Amino acid sequence: MGGFLRRHKAIVPYLLLAPGLLWLAVFYIVPGIQMFLTSLWSGTLETGYEFSLSNVTNYTEALTRFWPQFSRSVLYGAAATVLTFLISYPLAYTIAFRGGRFKNLLLFLVVAPFFTSFLLRTISWKIILGDTGILFGPLKDLGVLPDEFRVLATPVAVVAGITYNFLPFMTLPIYVSLEKIDKCLVEAAEDLFATSFGAFRRITLPLSLPGVFAGSLLTFIPAMGDYVNAELLGNPQTTMIGNVIQNQFLNQNNYPTASALSFILMAGILVAVAVYARLLGTDELTAGGV
Amino acid sequence: MNESTPTEHGLVSRRRFVQGGAMAGFAVFLAACGRSGTSAAPPAASAAPSTAPSAGASAAPSASIEATPKPSVSAELNWANWTYYMDPDPADETKWKTLEDFKAVYGTTTKYEEIIEDNDIFVGTIRPQLVAGQDTGWDMIVLTDWMAARLIRLGWVEQMDLGNMPNVAANLQDVYKGVTWDPTNDHHVPWQSGMTGLGYDQSVTGDLTSLDALWDPKYKGKIIYLTEMRDTIGLTMLKLGLDPSKPTTADCDAAIAEIKKATDAGIVRAFKGNAYAEDLKSGDAVLSMAWSGDMVQALSDKPTLRFTVADQGGMLWTDNVLIPKAAQHAYTAQVMIDFCYKPEIAAQLAAYINYISPVKGAAEVLIASDPDVANNPLIFPPADILARLHIFGGLDEATEQYFNDQFATVGGLG
Repeated sequence: MGGFLRRHKAIVPYLLLAPGLLWLAVFYIVPGIQMFLTSLWSGTLETGYEFSLSNVTNYTEALTRFWPQFSRSVLYGAAATVLTFLISYPLAYTIAFRGGRFKNLLLFLVVAPFFTSFLLRTISWKIILGDTGILFGPLKDLGVLPDEFRVLATPVAVVAGITYNFLPFMTLPIYVSLEKIDKCLVEAAEDLFATSFGAFRRITLPLSLPGVFAGSLLTFIPAMGDYVNAELLGNPQTTMIGNVIQNQFLNQNNYPTASALSFILMAGILVAVAVYARLLGTDELTAGGV
Repeated sequence: MNESTPTEHGLVSRRRFVQGGAMAGFAVFLAACGRSGTSAAPPAASAAPSTAPSAGASAAPSASIEATPKPSVSAELNWANWTYYMDPDPADETKWKTLEDFKAVYGTTTKYEEIIEDNDIFVGTIRPQLVAGQDTGWDMIVLTDWMAARLIRLGWVEQMDLGNMPNVAANLQDVYKGVTWDPTNDHHVPWQSGMTGLGYDQSVTGDLTSLDALWDPKYKGKIIYLTEMRDTIGLTMLKLGLDPSKPTTADCDAAIAEIKKATDAGIVRAFKGNAYAEDLKSGDAVLSMAWSGDMVQALSDKPTLRFTVADQGGMLWTDNVLIPKAAQHAYTAQVMIDFCYKPEIAAQLAAYINYISPVKGAAEVLIASDPDVANNPLIFPPADILARLHIFGGLDEATEQYFNDQFATVGGLG
């Protein structure tokens, strides 16, 4: 075996890739094809379905009909991504440069909530933010807040929920890229009379961009498709595309429309990521090694 | 699992399973795909098919069965039902009391499975056989009104002979008779029902009697409507003075416009399934469209909650027993259904299930043994409430699609 591999060195990378490729083929490409075919069905659960290429209208109809939910998903996803960045960067910076011997403990604390289920964490916000719950109940009793004040069932709650749930996906990549920065570079900049802000702007920030890039993808992509936060923390005016897909698939049994919506979502995210990568530079992604 | 504390068993309602069990339902769906058309015959050593049916068949002579010889009760019966819809045997929790009682009389062993968690998903598992006109492996299935209507419409259901079911003929509550989707009452028999009405925190709202409260700006952002299309549109139609037993697309448009007024004004906090009960309990909502079965439990958790069927009326939804086309033991299924319509058996079931029994006389039996259940108006609604309940009419497929699409728009899903 060893001799065979030595003689056919070219084959080694493919062998190493095989498990991953097999995984992708079985759990991504095959279902993807199935879903694509489903998206070109017409008919109902009751009468049975028929495949036809002319059903490509499923896509245009889905896009026009569910445009508000698509744009809302982009908006909420983007808002949550920006918020996670604004929260994560100072956090990761502090852990990386000021964490000292508590670094590992602090990192653990960032990840700790993940030991609890996503669903439970979201539901607990309902208890914390309840209209007369542990946070607002006393404030309303004291007259600090008006009685009709509420956070639950508003867009704020949905975006905040997404932000909270995906925060570590932003923090960890930024931390990794900050952690790797050679402190001598910052010292050199300061020796050359750069202010500390100048050193940050011209040394630290550019070197940490790969982490920001990876983090924002890890946050934005799942945030776009999320429906749990909108379902639990939102109202009828805050539904996202994930809620529509769930409704079409599980409640209405409209598998063709649900599949078409999923494909549009996937395509939309791919385009968004491509544009983003062009703006920030694909090299940064790989160069960072995150 | 004893029958003296029935409210404990009402903790988890059937609909809660519908909501939470979507993924579990898929597991069932996948598992059921591998199911063969006919089930393995259970060992039926004690079965005595020729045992004379005591009440059922002796009173059954009927013109329509002259042509064929009198069928006999079979040794086995296959019944698919929802969870918490059958009374466990206090002597042996692995068995069902009512089914054991049936076996004692007729010798039939019933293979009873709580396999149904969602109307659509369950029917999906037996659809290929129904389309092909083959035995699904089930002799009895239990489906909600609209799905029962759909199966009857498609001719996927065996006609029953009321001559085989004298107890059903005598004891079925009148409100269930003559639905548009089964005018002859011989393709379905109601199993259990629930009411849809107003659930509210009386300490905040005072007593409510009108559906108008669901549009009251006073409770802006504190009102919940149901995700179940027929309940929300049904109550809205009643508010508008329309008849939900004969729904038309024009009615749908009117109801949707009315619901939209409330959603646009921010009066509706959310559309929910069973979760409305949690919001009523936490105070996030003070008023909701609500199901009687859930409220039995919610009331015991928060005594200020109330359930009311409004003056304009409320909805009555029912899960019905159907005999799927080509079922092998169709006659035995009818004997079983009739058995469950004896008042004493119906009472035994009602004491456990906590939903509304469609059987006349069950309450009278329970007055002696379990007065708390018998006097609970959510389990045995008095006649004046029953008279105000409406069953949502059957819809053909295109109309149903129209209703679903329109309803999705007000929920922000379309």
